[in-house]
Parts: sequence; structure tokens; C-alpha cells
Amino acid sequence: MTTPILEIRNLHARIEDREILKGVNLTIPAGQVHAVMGRNGSGKSTLSYVLAGKEDYEITEGEILLNGESILDMEPAERATAGIFLAFQYPIEIPGVATMTFLKAAMNAQRKARGEGELSTPDFMRAMKEAGSLLNIDSDMLKRPLNVGFSGGEKKRAEIMQMALLKPTLCVLDETDSGLDIDALQVVAKGVNGLRADNRSMLVITHYQRLLNHIVPDVVHVFSDGRIVESGDKDLALQLEARGYADFDGQAA
Amino acid sequence: MRSTMPVRLGPAEDSLIAQLKSAGADAVAERITVAGLPTRRVESYHYTDLKALLRAVPPLAGAANAANPPSLAVPGAYVLTIVNGRVQAAGAVPAGLIVGKTEGGVLSTRDDTLVGINNGLASEALSLSVENGVDTVIQIDRRIEGEAAHAVDALKIFVADGASVTILETFSGSDAAHMGNHATYMALGKNSAVTHVTLDLSPSKSSHFATNEYRLADGARLRTLVIHAGAALARTQLFPILAGAGAHADIGGLNLASDGQHLDITMESHHAVPHTSSQPLFKSITRGRSKAVVQGKLVVDRDAQKTDAKFMHQGLMLSDEAEILSKPELEIYADDVVCGHGSTCGKLDEDWMFYLLSRGIPQAEAETMLVRGFIAEVLDPIEDEALNEALNTVVDGWLLSGK
Repeated sequence: MTTPILEIRNLHARIEDREILKGVNLTIPAGQVHAVMGRNGSGKSTLSYVLAGKEDYEITEGEILLNGESILDMEPAERATAGIFLAFQYPIEIPGVATMTFLKAAMNAQRKARGEGELSTPDFMRAMKEAGSLLNIDSDMLKRPLNVGFSGGEKKRAEIMQMALLKPTLCVLDETDSGLDIDALQVVAKGVNGLRADNRSMLVITHYQRLLNHIVPDVVHVFSDGRIVESGDKDLALQLEARGYADFDGQAA
Repeated sequence: MRSTMPVRLGPAEDSLIAQLKSAGADAVAERITVAGLPTRRVESYHYTDLKALLRAVPPLAGAANAANPPSLAVPGAYVLTIVNGRVQAAGAVPAGLIVGKTEGGVLSTRDDTLVGINNGLASEALSLSVENGVDTVIQIDRRIEGEAAHAVDALKIFVADGASVTILETFSGSDAAHMGNHATYMALGKNSAVTHVTLDLSPSKSSHFATNEYRLADGARLRTLVIHAGAALARTQLFPILAGAGAHADIGGLNLASDGQHLDITMESHHAVPHTSSQPLFKSITRGRSKAVVQGKLVVDRDAQKTDAKFMHQGLMLSDEAEILSKPELEIYADDVVCGHGSTCGKLDEDWMFYLLSRGIPQAEAETMLVRGFIAEVLDPIEDEALNEALNTVVDGWLLSGK
């Protein structure tokens, strides 16, 4: 059997004294898209931050393996170059840093980690144009400071554009549908679907089933009180939408 | 009850008094004899206690020649040089500019020790008259060469009605414990437009003092940028006077403080007539055990209705031992004005940092990007491309030297 791209074993994490993840088990084989659904405050976003390595969280137990190797001792930047990409629920606005400058630095950091030389300007511009056209992002937007003054839809499109440029092995999408109208949702979903590949896995975190009509998952997990309590195929999302989360509270996986 | 206790004078004061007397500046000498150098009890020197910070004053600078290229190369700039207080001969002068030499003492008299010393000791001043639009950047390279010296120099600039010009002043010198006291007086004619950048690159053991006084006539537009990137102790004093309706000043400043440095920008902006505006924006970055000071005072005269002025100072501390001191002040005598002040101070934003890291950008590079982003707001408005690029090189050099 081939090594799964992501394997989370009995993961416990806390912030200060509060335990938020209470024994998460999750395996995503290569090429699959898994959705994690749960109500607000169930710990879904914490899971995404813990994967990306945000230092506010302390891992007290368990293991996270990316392509079979533990990432727990890796810094956030190392995790990114190892292939993890987190599409933020609320992409951060950074005044004074041009989007273009940021993208080039990120792409070159990834290339450097792989032992490749820096991107030439024409190659960079070409990659920018290609990824931008897919997500309706024009060069004017790229000249602006990173995410500053971007609309909700523009921010999410810019996240997916970064994902397209950085070509991660594991994409973690944290509430990518929040703040999007239906048209913007379709553009984003099209962008995400275009990145589905045999050697790439995705973890889609959401609390609405709506997104999953557009990004159809292979497996759906229900998240409650810091762990996965039920897993099933895409129809589980529909059941959840019909019955609400209450039915799943307190269940063991 | 005012205390009449005599002030105990130290060696720095003794040297200054002797130097002032030898130059015939008896009133200033007398003032220092009676009051000493300003201490933190003097409000405008509260964070920069000259009596405590200045242990010694080197001897007055003798004549020296500049064989060195300017401390910052700006392609296409027209360079004038002042060495050890003496104005050096000028080469071919660009069209629209008249270069000359006049007597020292260019600053308006005010109750300030550094101003008093400059007016008392500056024997001559470089004078510039901008008759109409000058396209090339004019660079005044002010240097202190040779053994440790106290150099006092002055610059007087007249900008004719409707003229426009970009002026860069650079301060540098040989690696010794110099003390520089520099003055610039600039009169901006009606509807003139001036960009004035002063960049301190003084050697690490030196003290750098500069005072810039500006007088703006109707409709004049001034943009200034002070950058402190050198010296152990630096203080630049900015005294803009908005004296004509429609005059506008964007006053900018940047303290780049590394371990052991004390950098101070002190501004007192004076709105003297109705319908003037100013936007002072200062940024300080401190690392290691260093100190940055920004004092900004907006004075609005009783007749200066419809004044629109907003002072802002933002500080970024990159180490736990670094200090940033901020003192915004308003002194408003008119009743129909929009004036404000703000001050923020903090470390690099952790969420910003995490966002960059999460894309694979290494810690050191992410820090540099964020600091550069923080500075961009004061550098970006400098329109001349060659000058802007040269200033960015200085900032990059500072950032790299800290890694």
C-alpha cells in the first residue's frame, strides 16, 4: 500500500490551558479530497493551524505524518516547503508588501528548498499570468499591497492563486466558502478543482454543505468537540445539512 | 520659587563655552555658562539629555579638503560639498540654480542650545537660489574629515515663486568621534514645490545635530524626509513655518536605530495663517539596545483658522532591550481647525509573520519584508527614481547589517 499524503494519529492540542483537539485520527490517501464539517468552535480551524504549524498551539499527544514523515518538529516555513499549504479563512492584509513581491519570495523559497535556482522574471510573469487568468485576477490587483483593500471574494481567489503557484502536496482549505457569493464561490471552486491531482490531497474545512456541491469530496468527516465522530461518503454532508450537528454530538468515531 | 543654584559645568560645556567665546558668540557662551547644556528638565530635551549624553566636545574643525566621493551616490545628482564647515568650490552649475557663499548664522533665533551653537559658530554658509524648475537632484554632501572635530556648517536655500526642486543632504565623515552641528534654512516661494531629504550616515562614534527651518509662502508644497542611519547620538530638529495660505507640508522621518544608538527627531510645526495643512509622519525602528525618540508638536496660531494637521509616529521594536519614546503635542489657539495626533508602537505583527512563514518564506526574509513594508510609507512618496532607489539601498544595507 502506498503511503498516504496525510496521516494524523490521536492528535491532542491545546491553547494555553484549553484542550481543543482531543484525539483526531485522519488519513488522506494521495489524490483524495476529504471534507471536515463541524459547527463553529468544534476545533476545525485549530486543526488547520496545527497542520500549518502556528506556534500558539501546543501538541500534547499524537503524531502528524506528511508522506510518512513527522512534521511536528518542523517550523511553519519548513512545513510549507515540505508541501503543506493553508488557504486562510481570513487572509491577512499586509500593507507595504506588494502582492507581486510576496508571491515571488514565496515561489523562490519553495524552489530554493528543492535545490532549484531563482525564477527568472519572464518565467515568473508567465506563471503569474497563467494562474491569474484561471482565477480572474488581473495584474492591477497583483500590484496592490498584499490583500489590502481586496474584497472578500478577491482575497479567497488570491489564496487559491497562491495555491496554484506553490503546487503543494497537501492543500488545507479553511472555510474557503465564507464570505463568498455564489458567483465567487464557483470561480474559487473551479480553481480548486483544477488543482485536483493524483499526487495531491486536499482537506476542505467547512460548516456548510454548499461548498461540497462544487468541490465534491471523496470522504466527509463530522467534527465535534475536538475529534472526528463520523465518516462517510459525500451523502453524509447532505444528511448533516438535513439533521443538524446535534445528532452527531457525543458519538465516537 | 526658582532655584538659583549654579549649574555644575562638565568638560563638554567648558569646551563649548571656550569655542563660542573664541568666535565672539558671547551671548550663547554666557547662556551655557549659566544654564549648562539642556537636561531632561528642559521639556524639548526630555528624552535627549544633552548634559548626560555629551561627555566631551572635540576641538573646532580645521580646514580640510574633500577628496572622497559623496557618501551616497545618486546617479545624475549635482553635488556640492561642505567639509569641516567650509564650503567647497562648485563645478558647473545646472540651469535654474545659483550657488554662492554667505555669512553663517542662518537660523532664526530661538531658545534652543543647538540653534544657538550653530548661529554662534557657523562662519559661513552655502547659499542656493533656485530660480525655476531644476530637474537634477541637488545633493549637499556635508562631511567631517580628519581627527575628531566639532564641525559647524550652514546652508541657506531660496526657492523662487513657482520653482520646483529636489534637494538631498548627506552627512558623513572619517571614522572618529566627531560632533556635527548643521543648519539648513529654506524659504519656499509662492506655489513652489520642494522635496528635501536629509540622510545621516555619520560614523558610529560621532554625534550628529541638525536643525532644519522652513518658511512656506502661499501655496508652497514641501515634502521632507529625515533618515537617521548613523551616529551614536543624532538629533534632527525640524521647524517648519506655514506662513502663506494654501501652504502644505508633508514632514517625514525615519529613525533606524541599532545597538548603542540614540536617535531623536524633534519637530515643531507652526501654522501661522489660515488655510494651511501638514501631515507629519514618522517611523522608528529599534533593535539591540537602542533608543529612538520622536517629538512632534503642532502649533496653531490664533488666526490660523481652517488648519488641517495630523501628526503620526509609528514605532517598531525588534528586540526586548530596544526603546521608543514618543511625544505628540498640540498647542492650538484657533477654534476652527482639524488637528490630530497619533502614536503606535509594537513588535512585528505575529499574524503577518505567520502568514508569510506559512508560504515557505524563511523567518529572516519574512522579517525583512515586513520591516521594508513598514518603511515603505515614508520612502515611497520620494518621486525621483534614482534618489528613491538610493535611499532604499541605505535601508536594505541597514536591514542586512542586522542579520
